[in-house]
Amino acid sequence: MELTAENTLMIRKKKSKIILFLIIIGFGTFLAGLVVGSPERAWQSYLINFLLWSAIAQGALLFSAVMHTAKARWSGPLASIAESFSAFFPISFILFLLLYLGKDHVFPWIGEDLHGKEVWLNIPFLFSRDSAGLFILYGVGFAYLYYALGAKLHMIKPEGKFRTLLYKLWGNGKSDPERFKKGMSFFAVLYIMAFAVILSLIGFDLIMSMDPHWYSTLFGAYNFVKAFYIGLGAIIITAAFLHLNPNTRWQIESKQFHDIGKLFFAFCLVWADFFYCQLVVIWYANISEETTYVIQRTMLSPWRSLAWTVFVICFIAPFLILLKRSVKMQPRFMMVLCILVIFGIWLEHLLLLGPALNHHATTIPMGISDILITLGFLGLMVFAVSSYLKLFPEIETSGERKAA
Amino acid sequence: MTTENTISQKYVMGLFSDEDKAVSTIHELKQTDWKIHKVHTPIPSHKVFDALKLKSSRVGYFTLAGGILGFFLGLALAIFTALRWELIVQGKPIISLIPFFIVGFEFTILFSVFGNVIGLLTQAKLPEFKWADLYDPRCSGSHFGIVASCEPENAGALSAFFKEKGAEIRTFD
Repeated sequence: MELTAENTLMIRKKKSKIILFLIIIGFGTFLAGLVVGSPERAWQSYLINFLLWSAIAQGALLFSAVMHTAKARWSGPLASIAESFSAFFPISFILFLLLYLGKDHVFPWIGEDLHGKEVWLNIPFLFSRDSAGLFILYGVGFAYLYYALGAKLHMIKPEGKFRTLLYKLWGNGKSDPERFKKGMSFFAVLYIMAFAVILSLIGFDLIMSMDPHWYSTLFGAYNFVKAFYIGLGAIIITAAFLHLNPNTRWQIESKQFHDIGKLFFAFCLVWADFFYCQLVVIWYANISEETTYVIQRTMLSPWRSLAWTVFVICFIAPFLILLKRSVKMQPRFMMVLCILVIFGIWLEHLLLLGPALNHHATTIPMGISDILITLGFLGLMVFAVSSYLKLFPEIETSGERKAA
Repeated sequence: MTTENTISQKYVMGLFSDEDKAVSTIHELKQTDWKIHKVHTPIPSHKVFDALKLKSSRVGYFTLAGGILGFFLGLALAIFTALRWELIVQGKPIISLIPFFIVGFEFTILFSVFGNVIGLLTQAKLPEFKWADLYDPRCSGSHFGIVASCEPENAGALSAFFKEKGAEIRTFD
């Protein structure tokens, strides 16, 4: 017994070392890029990763909120896992504030004549509205989390400062569970609405505005549907990881993997649908202001090959593979597929931002430094999720481990 | 849910008002020489489906085939009609795949439904005109009816087996 406890401690230490190593590598590469390499490239990579990992965290918490609002019963252990991604919220907020330092490299429209759009597109207004928006979104998210955790854990043992504080706030283990359910319902609905509004805003401000003369009114909706798509992917990866790891007590039934797999499949379709809805309208209207954006990305070198890669990885492949029922019940396989899709969405961000940030590019601006910076962000995400799970080890027992 | 049908067999139906009892009876029947011929359930009961260990349905493949066929039929229809009357609108190409994709998509759904219906008809061998032969109206109310077949001389033993499980008995010839 002691031996296994020591072993798990050893594994924990080893893991946290790896995480720290990843973060240092990513941060180091980013700083090196700023100082020696080209700062534009470093900030581009930073922006892509900020958008991607924040969207994963926001989309994952949305799963829990949606499941609660829909009164779903099948998703309990999965929703608990989904909530753990909210630990990335503070990190995401700080990362957004740090983006201010790179504003000259990130926003190509600074100093350009915007023909009246400068009322909306100016740095002070953009940063104040976006940080306020993210603050509201994360605030509502945490309020939801407070009640969601309270409903599960208001009888926890008060160990450590933070848990004791929560224990007191939750009424010293004597609260009525209904109180938490009510709070959850209220903030779940608020979070869902805030998610749609704020992620649209982020999509407009941080992605679409890079081409200041192009706009698509559907772009915001496209952005938050995408966030939910990869959020579900991240939940499946984490669930599969915990399910397959013999050191954790967390396990779910293959039916539950089937259900979340179906949801992932559905949002793969919704994502492609939102893309197509924009494309077909732009194609029909054939206004040169609108079509240049699409032509540059899908028909001209070097972006054309990237566009097809994204389309195949994020839609064609998952669509054809997930048609099969039994595939969705194989955690190992789903993990690989979801990692691929998230990688595809990374490329998709590059496709959306790249042409605006790299005029006259002859090759796709992607290299080893982008991979290293991405690893750093991955480290931050793993750090956030694993420290949350360490703080509330009860989450691991929320899944039913059944005798096989 | 129908197994082999031989003429000289006798059919006994045990009617259960309790789902769990019906399920445990199915499990025990599988251990014996008697064959489960048919099970009527008033509700789609997953417990009963699991206990019967049914082969997974092949209807999905009909739906898939219908969908794939429909997609290409839809595209073909759009291209064919466009080529019959080559009218250039707004400088767009005669064969423009982006909007034709919508026709393909709609046909995918339509033909998936057709495939699905054909699959259901052929796989479930519908329409079934002799459905009332081994049937009791209570199976559409609140009872689970398990029909088992046996040699005529064993009918008494089978009835006793059902009775022991707490079922009401109905025999058929």
